[in-house]
Amino acid sequence: MGTTSQYSRRLRVDDGCIMIAIQNDDIDIGSLIQGAKNRSTGAIVVFDGIVRDDDICEMELEAYEEVALPELEKIAWEATEQFNLLHVDIVHRVGLLAVGENILVIVVGAGHREEAYRGSRFIIEAIKAGVPIWKKELTKNGGRWVPGEHGHGSGHYRDSS
Amino acid sequence: MKIRVRFFARFRELLGTEIMAEVNEGMSLPDLIKHIAQKNNEGYQAIFDEDGQFRDYVILMRNARRIDLADAAKHVVADGDDIAVFPPVAGG
Repeated sequence: MGTTSQYSRRLRVDDGCIMIAIQNDDIDIGSLIQGAKNRSTGAIVVFDGIVRDDDICEMELEAYEEVALPELEKIAWEATEQFNLLHVDIVHRVGLLAVGENILVIVVGAGHREEAYRGSRFIIEAIKAGVPIWKKELTKNGGRWVPGEHGHGSGHYRDSS
Repeated sequence: MKIRVRFFARFRELLGTEIMAEVNEGMSLPDLIKHIAQKNNEGYQAIFDEDGQFRDYVILMRNARRIDLADAAKHVVADGDDIAVFPPVAGG
């Protein structure tokens, strides 16, 4: 993992085959890939979500951490069972991020590419659909909250029970 | 009794991060949130429509479990409850 200063905030769950973290600090993707391999691994798919320059200065990320962390863990376990994954890392950053910085890294290890690709896609879509994390684009004229793609309060969300 | 109410994202900017509310027995969840949201008109209007109903994008959680908006009025808050109110999520 990347360096962790004493001032950074970080919540983390790690049981060897699944690691979930919500943190301020950047992510050392190379070391995640290295840690994801075992003798049965035939494919690793990495998803890296990055702050895009949509005429913004910075992006501010906020999470309801006590809920987001277990929900990310639940998504990782669902993907592991459904796609026969061997390893899942999900690291979501919070705080102020500049254009080009990593927002979210998902590392999925599996025996074969098919499962790895499908597992990775499942995880990112599930995160976007329901995990309580928000983004605000900070511009020269102020800021704007990024509208969610899903998430009405009337039932179109993942069951967090 | 004491209830903790937390707002996130745009709702947080308008209404505050965390409010410790001292309320009487028997208060419903919508009434509690209305009571707090009334301090800021923009915040109130972001959460409630003209009829005082939750806007359909609002997400409610009680003690880390989501509550269907249609059932919100059936929830009577209890001492120590942890309520969260937030707009649609946009992580990833």
